[in-house]
Amino acid sequence: MILEILLLGLGVGVLVGLLGIGGGVVLVPAMVYLFRMDQHMAQGTSLFVLLPPLGLGALIAYWKRGQVDLRAGILCALGMLIGGYFGSLIAIPLTSRNLKGLFGCFLMLVAFLLWRKTRRNSYSPTLVAAEKTGG
Amino acid sequence: MAEGAARSAGIFAAACLTGFAAGLFGVGGGGLLVPLLGLLFAFDQHRAQGTSLVALIPPTGLPALLTYAKAGYVSWLTGWLLIPGIFVGGILGGVLAKRIRPLRMQQIFAGMLLALGAWQAITAWWR
Repeated sequence: MILEILLLGLGVGVLVGLLGIGGGVVLVPAMVYLFRMDQHMAQGTSLFVLLPPLGLGALIAYWKRGQVDLRAGILCALGMLIGGYFGSLIAIPLTSRNLKGLFGCFLMLVAFLLWRKTRRNSYSPTLVAAEKTGG
Repeated sequence: MAEGAARSAGIFAAACLTGFAAGLFGVGGGGLLVPLLGLLFAFDQHRAQGTSLVALIPPTGLPALLTYAKAGYVSWLTGWLLIPGIFVGGILGGVLAKRIRPLRMQQIFAGMLLALGAWQAITAWWR
């Protein structure tokens, strides 16, 4: 079991680094289906795993290229702190069945947004250059 | 000034919404925050990603985690065992992403995620 968990972490990490996606979207279903974990338990464990600042290296790289809006970022951090607390208050009393179904809907939304992003990026690098100059 | 304040309030509101989803579903929230910054506030893709990283560095999920922990919904051992793999895997994935173009893989992944989400919703409610 320990080996399986270590390997799952490695696999999720590769996906995160390769595709630029958030780890929780993969972690939660993987724990539910591979480890037969309860939906609530998988989500709580995912929140714990995502706590360390693993994106620090990436942030420094973006910062050096001037692609960070610090003021907006701090506002976002505050908003997510507050929103996250209320989200968890809603999640706890839900039945596992309803939470699982809602999570499925959330996954479909994330999938749509990711697909939309690949459509936009497929026009690069011209579009990226135009965006950088404010066009 | 007023326009700047309205924009700031809007960004804050979008972040609250993202955080709400993150706490509700136990995820990081970057996958939602980046498109929202792009769609609603005209951030280009790179700037949206860089800015969202600022929000993902401080432990913004901590209040949500404490709520789950209080209810007994955290498997600490599994969590500790997952962290080193994700750290090492993230570096490997980053190296791999420079060698191949991940666009096609992102599209395949989006398709898989859509199917997984649909299957999860169907098995939860129409079983």
